[in-house]
Amino acid sequence: MSTSAPAQSSTLRWSSMSPRRPPTTAAVVRATLLTGGAVLMVAPIVWAALSSFKTPSELAQSPPTLLPRQIAASNYTEALTSFNFAQYFLNSVIVTVAATALTLAINSMAAYALAKYNFRGRDTLFLITLSTIMIPIQVILLPVYQVVASMGMANSLLGLIIPPAATPTGVFLLRQYMLTIPDDLIEAARIDGAGEFTIFWRVVLPLCKPALAVVAIFSMIWRWNDFLWPLLIAQDEAVYTLPVALARFSSQLVVPFNLVLAMSVLSILPVIIIFLLMQRQIVTGIAQTGLK
Amino acid sequence: MSTPSSRRDRRRQGRNRLVPYLFVLPNMLVFGLFTIWPAISGFNVSLYDSSNGRTFEFVGMDNYTNILSDSEYLATVRNTLVFVVGFVVVVTLCATLLALLLNHQRRGGGALRAAYFLPVIISPVVVGLVWNWMLTRGTGVVNVALDGLGLGQPGWLLEPSLAMIAIIGVGVWVNVGFFTMILLAGLQSIDPTLYEAAKIDGANVWQQNREITLPLLRPSMLVVVILATITGFQAFDYIWTLTGGGPVGATTLMVQFIYENAFESPIQYGLASAAGVIFFIVVFGVTALNYLVGRRRGAI
Repeated sequence: MSTSAPAQSSTLRWSSMSPRRPPTTAAVVRATLLTGGAVLMVAPIVWAALSSFKTPSELAQSPPTLLPRQIAASNYTEALTSFNFAQYFLNSVIVTVAATALTLAINSMAAYALAKYNFRGRDTLFLITLSTIMIPIQVILLPVYQVVASMGMANSLLGLIIPPAATPTGVFLLRQYMLTIPDDLIEAARIDGAGEFTIFWRVVLPLCKPALAVVAIFSMIWRWNDFLWPLLIAQDEAVYTLPVALARFSSQLVVPFNLVLAMSVLSILPVIIIFLLMQRQIVTGIAQTGLK
Repeated sequence: MSTPSSRRDRRRQGRNRLVPYLFVLPNMLVFGLFTIWPAISGFNVSLYDSSNGRTFEFVGMDNYTNILSDSEYLATVRNTLVFVVGFVVVVTLCATLLALLLNHQRRGGGALRAAYFLPVIISPVVVGLVWNWMLTRGTGVVNVALDGLGLGQPGWLLEPSLAMIAIIGVGVWVNVGFFTMILLAGLQSIDPTLYEAAKIDGANVWQQNREITLPLLRPSMLVVVILATITGFQAFDYIWTLTGGGPVGATTLMVQFIYENAFESPIQYGLASAAGVIFFIVVFGVTALNYLVGRRRGAI
């Protein structure tokens, strides 16, 4: 993993692009710094992925080997068979998909009302929504848990799905986007006799696809990686999500690290795939909103 | 003017007046039930003491006076402040440097951005697990590399000050890509003709950075500082699996204190709720301060 090779090749290509002017020292330094930094950023993930194919004895070896000497796919088969990995994975998928669908539905409806209707209490509702972006879940952990428990949703997937669904950032982002939709368009549909919900569903939502995509992507990443809330709610193994299962197993030293590593890699794979596919939407989403 | 059509209009209008409330209802129901109401009731619980978790006795401000003289709690406050200041300073500096460099990098720029952003999307639990393994004394790859360079084998997770550096470092690794993207967006909104004009006036790259880029980047930097402060205060997951708050509580932050008192025995609801209220006041206060200072300096 040499840092100089990619930098050199990029400067070589650089010079072939503009033959008249060779790359300045500053450009070479910049490319080298950026490439070196990028290697440092990615290295731990690559390292974990490579090591997840090592046998336990090779993992314990010092100094460690870079590439696995032989590929121990057994780490993966063992992790998949000796734990209810499929169950945790399925739980994570259910929670992520259902919570994201719910978030999109209720956030977009609320955002539409806040953006396109005049009604008493609108500004108050919007301000309250905004101010709670500041309230982290940790502060209200205990009282939320009590509400959820009193509704019989503790230790259930519903308790993982519903409480975090009404994200204030989602409402805010969608509202800002909907403000840019011309009122005339909605008025025209109204004159054509369309009902209020039809207007929302058929006219407004299709125009909001970029904003909806951003909210959906972030919601999926949040829910998939969510830890503190599921740690509280998921007491039984049957409702563990992947992060909860991983944290619990790694804290019990009985689970060998090669299996923890294999499960870790499997659990981050879906997010990496989504990221690589949707990279552009994610970056423009951040640029527009500072949303996290 | 009570023609049939206007009466129909009025009836339709009356029905329409309900429509916006129906639209906001589902969101506000979930929101009220699981955010607003708990926030109010959390404040309420902080005024009560409960020895068994069922019956509550009103104690006024006792939880607050107790917690503010609790040395264990005060240590978590100090740890949190050290962590947040270290994290915000380092992550803002790194993100600014990266954004300035990336903004000029044409070739491979997309791939580089993706590489810097990648840790942002990785499960924090996995982040903590992997870094714990990499920082282990003896077999951890970081120490093996340091040893190879003749720098010895620092006990990252064994010595209090090194453990603090470790969680700050991992926090920066996780978040720097996110803040870099915000700053990049800020850089790209700067009018390029300003640079053309500066070049004509004979300004070099450093002068351009100092006179044009940094002043115009201030609003984005203020956003970054505010968001980084909130992110720093809320850090929990990766610390939980990286150090578990150790060694000897050196990396136990305020959030972990709240979690442990609320959910791990001995359970102290009143204390946990008071800690939650204090946490909110601190985060809110620091954020407001950031905002006001930034505003006075003309950043917004």
